Amino acid sequence: MTPTAAAGAMRMRVPRLALGPIMVLVAWQGLAVAVPGDFLVAGPWEVAGHLWQNAGLYFRALQTTLAAAATGFLIGNLLAVALAALALLLPRAEALIAGLALLVFCLPLVATGPILRVLYGPGTGPQVTLAALAVYYTTFVPVLVGLRATPAAWLDLVRSYGRGRFAMLWHIRARAALPYLVAGLQIAAPAAFLGAMVGEFTGAERGMGILTLQAMRGLDTEATWTLATVAAAVSIAAHGGIGWLARHALSEPPPVLLAPPQTGSGPGLWSGLRGILVVGVVAIALWWALLQIAGLNPFFAKGPGDVWAFLVSGPGADENRATLLAALAETTGALGPGYFAGMAMGAALAVVVTLAPALSAVVMPVAIALRAVPIVTTVPLLVLVVGRGPVGSAALVAVMVFFPTLVACLYGLQRAPGQVLDVMASYGAGRGKALLYARLPAMLPAFFAAARMAVPAAVLAVTVVEWLATGRGLGALMAVSASLSDYGTLWSATVLTAVLAALVYGIVARIERRVLAVFASEQAQ
Amino acid sequence: MPADPRIAPDIVCKGLAKRFGDVVAVDPLDVTFRGGQTTALVGPSGCGKSTLLRLVAGLERPDAGSIRIGDDTPDAVRAQAGLAIAFQDPSLLPWRTARGNVALAQRLAGQRVDAAAIDAMLDLVGLDGFFDARPGALSGGMRQRAAIARCLITQPRLLLLDEPFGAVDELTRRKLSEDLPPIWQARGTTTLLVTHSVTEAVLLSQRVLVFSPRPARIVADIAIDLPDPRPGQETTPAFIDLAEQVSAALIGGEGPSPRRLAAQ
Amino acid sequence: MTQFGLTRRHVLGAGIATVGAFAALPRARAQAQTPLRMQLSWLHSVQFGGSYIAQDQGLWEAEGLSVMLDPGGPNAPVEPPVVSGQALVGISAADYTAAAVAQGAPFKILGVAMQKNPFVITSLPANPVNEPADLVGKRIGMALANTPVLQALCTLNGVDIDGIEIVPTQYSAEPLIAGEVDCLLNWETDLPVAMAVQGVDSVTMLMADHGYALHSQTYIATEDSIANRRAELVGLMRGETRGWDIYRQDTDAAADMTVARFPDLGLDPEVQRLQAARQVPLMFSDLTDEHGFGWFTEDTVAANIETLALLGQTVTADLWDRSILEEVHAS
Repeated sequence: MTPTAAAGAMRMRVPRLALGPIMVLVAWQGLAVAVPGDFLVAGPWEVAGHLWQNAGLYFRALQTTLAAAATGFLIGNLLAVALAALALLLPRAEALIAGLALLVFCLPLVATGPILRVLYGPGTGPQVTLAALAVYYTTFVPVLVGLRATPAAWLDLVRSYGRGRFAMLWHIRARAALPYLVAGLQIAAPAAFLGAMVGEFTGAERGMGILTLQAMRGLDTEATWTLATVAAAVSIAAHGGIGWLARHALSEPPPVLLAPPQTGSGPGLWSGLRGILVVGVVAIALWWALLQIAGLNPFFAKGPGDVWAFLVSGPGADENRATLLAALAETTGALGPGYFAGMAMGAALAVVVTLAPALSAVVMPVAIALRAVPIVTTVPLLVLVVGRGPVGSAALVAVMVFFPTLVACLYGLQRAPGQVLDVMASYGAGRGKALLYARLPAMLPAFFAAARMAVPAAVLAVTVVEWLATGRGLGALMAVSASLSDYGTLWSATVLTAVLAALVYGIVARIERRVLAVFASEQAQ
Repeated sequence: MPADPRIAPDIVCKGLAKRFGDVVAVDPLDVTFRGGQTTALVGPSGCGKSTLLRLVAGLERPDAGSIRIGDDTPDAVRAQAGLAIAFQDPSLLPWRTARGNVALAQRLAGQRVDAAAIDAMLDLVGLDGFFDARPGALSGGMRQRAAIARCLITQPRLLLLDEPFGAVDELTRRKLSEDLPPIWQARGTTTLLVTHSVTEAVLLSQRVLVFSPRPARIVADIAIDLPDPRPGQETTPAFIDLAEQVSAALIGGEGPSPRRLAAQ
Repeated sequence: MTQFGLTRRHVLGAGIATVGAFAALPRARAQAQTPLRMQLSWLHSVQFGGSYIAQDQGLWEAEGLSVMLDPGGPNAPVEPPVVSGQALVGISAADYTAAAVAQGAPFKILGVAMQKNPFVITSLPANPVNEPADLVGKRIGMALANTPVLQALCTLNGVDIDGIEIVPTQYSAEPLIAGEVDCLLNWETDLPVAMAVQGVDSVTMLMADHGYALHSQTYIATEDSIANRRAELVGLMRGETRGWDIYRQDTDAAADMTVARFPDLGLDPEVQRLQAARQVPLMFSDLTDEHGFGWFTEDTVAANIETLALLGQTVTADLWDRSILEEVHAS
């Protein structure tokens, strides 16, 4: 039997779908055996045993966290759909709505947690809210695109009966956006779980987040790996379940999102700046108004004026700025390399898988698992493996960025028009040339869409890892300042983080629009 | 065919103009489409005849001039669900069945969804047995039949057809143009038909308007006074003569042609 | 937007509702109870064992109080709920309280659960840190945010901090076991306990034994509460005092009770028992034997003010208010 025939026979016996997970388990067990010491890696065997012995504990924790995550998932996604519908019906307000939505999404969990706990008091309020906050934007963006991605003739049909925007929304757009909603929901499932877990960090009596904290403190390697495994399994199941439902309910597969939101930055730089200005003014007004309405104590609830005084006009403003900028520099030092490495790895692996499709059975389950493990359970694992320097932070950012990039790039690579590939083949061009001249250009729009959506995810990752593990940068600064009641620093760092993330997002979106105009002109507008 | 002006009003366009940016789609144009008739609009690609159709439907706003459908504006007619439009692409919603797509028109028109009428209409256009098929399971011709059923179910006073048989193969096209037009012609619905096919124009209309290249001007107004039913007459001298007239006008509209110069 | 309209009445209402759920317990009586909350500084564990005893054995009920214990966490600062009135009392520490007061919070320290600060330097027996001078030339794993703590220890003992290599680590014993660092800055009652239970011996040097005087697990309340809700504060502290006295008599029982009470926290009985025993010497001293649980004196306050000054915090003895404890222990 030739090697290829043997491989083919093996594929016959082991279903392709099972091959990846099996290889992952084998590699994992191998790692557990190979790595010295008892406190680094627990293998699947130990994890299974631990889970069996503590089944009740994990079941109850999962139940608690899932309930909060599911509630937040529901609320967040409903909010996203409502926001998208609003943006569609009020085109003039769209830039504002999208800008505010992005800004709120970029607020770091470290900072929002304590505030939510004070607002809600005891209970699952913060867990549910953080879960909702973690999902709404990644649903809002695709749903808005989906609501718009309707052939003009369908809309003309509605108009020809004298009906207006509401009828279009109800009869046409809502249904046409469903596949896009599914794409959003798949991303949202692990995010909601993460939000609920981090919500438990604000004080709770049970849940997966609580168990994670106990495991980290108690040097409980088995528990740490078990939590990561359970969380990953739940996320993968939710991702797969939503996909399965969608395949049965929809005639069309969920799309990978390409078209950028037309946020803030129109064609001209000036209108872009004006959009940012409007969003900024409204955000500050809302911030001020919410503090007034909530009647929060000014000891910890800082308004726009307080932050201005802290950073610019008040005593010690120079020093405060210096502290924040130093932290920012550290954060950027981990964020930048991690972000670019994740993008590069995702794109490179997509190319490899395209050239050697057999690999995808192995690569994809690993990639999905990596993405699905909530970051708070990955942090201790990754730190164990990579260490707690900037490399650890960067590695975690890379992991967060890597999976969406891989999926988007794979989609993009496969989108190269068949006829173009046929033309290439007719000149006897090999796979490499077809890749270079047809597939890579076709991949670019998807790559940049992923790059844009990865910005908030990367910022989330870096602040969480700094907070929980490395103790450097903005994430740590926010955590420390909260414990020292230094709410001026906390709010300033929060604003700085959110604004920076939103700005970088805007810059990537601008580059993306340029690229789309060349490589996918049909999607540019 | 005498027509009741209340159900089949004349369409009167006066000084109608429309431009898209620098492109002049319709130059000031005066034209009247007679009620109860089918008027075919032919002309080279991009000459503005589709724009004219959309102006009449109220889907575009004219830059100048006015359109009156009887005593009403296009918007008023739309609001009463008095018109229906069909495009080259059948534009069926992929998630609705043939029945569901037709029902949507009644719903959008604010009419009661009449299942019996819908089934009868689908039967009439020849979709018997495919009532619950989704567009993805229908052939191109069948989709176009469903689209026409959707147009007719609301009993419009005005039917606007923008190359409705343009996207199917020649054989299907002939079959469709034999089967479907009698349905609306029997009702005396005022119909505007945009088409590229000279044969189709002569076959289906009482009057052919030939347009020049952009901006649209009418270069010929040819009455088609052939007896009904038309199918089978394509080879008669009268039909061929009318078709020749339309073709000549079409070529003439393009500018001086060798043949035309020779004729002078 | 109802969550932003959360008023004290809502909070109290929620408290009553939760109490209602507890009414099923046999000990509950029909008498009117004043509901109030105490904000803990971390997740539930035997660290707050005395409070659970007070709750379980009806010590607060006897004071006419229905006390809810709100767990803390890594993202749950204690000060905001106390400032905003959600919690009557919070469990803090002298340095955190001093920082909050410097930011304008009207807090007073009412009592001190941990007479000795629980900060230790943990090392392995093969390469031990027995006294501050041993730190020189060692790599210490700690949160960078705790650098002032190490600096204070060095100043107090004449050690040059530049001779110590600070390695930023998360709060875990793993770097020490893996040999990435030679010692860790942590609490006497957590990482060494975890290591012991995992079978790893360790050496701990209590910083409080080397001049680092800083009250920990302190009870804080606002000036307004001290003025206007005195009876509740006295009742709360009396329950605490009695609870901790019972705790001291049998720390194993307290640990077992804690584990049974919070079955969903994944608490390890062995860890809890060890922790319960190890915190006794930090909480009880000759001073508390003489005057009662939580006591502090002008001298201990003065020592705290000195340590706080080394940490860069200027406070006066006004930060402490013993009047509530005096009422508690007078009876």
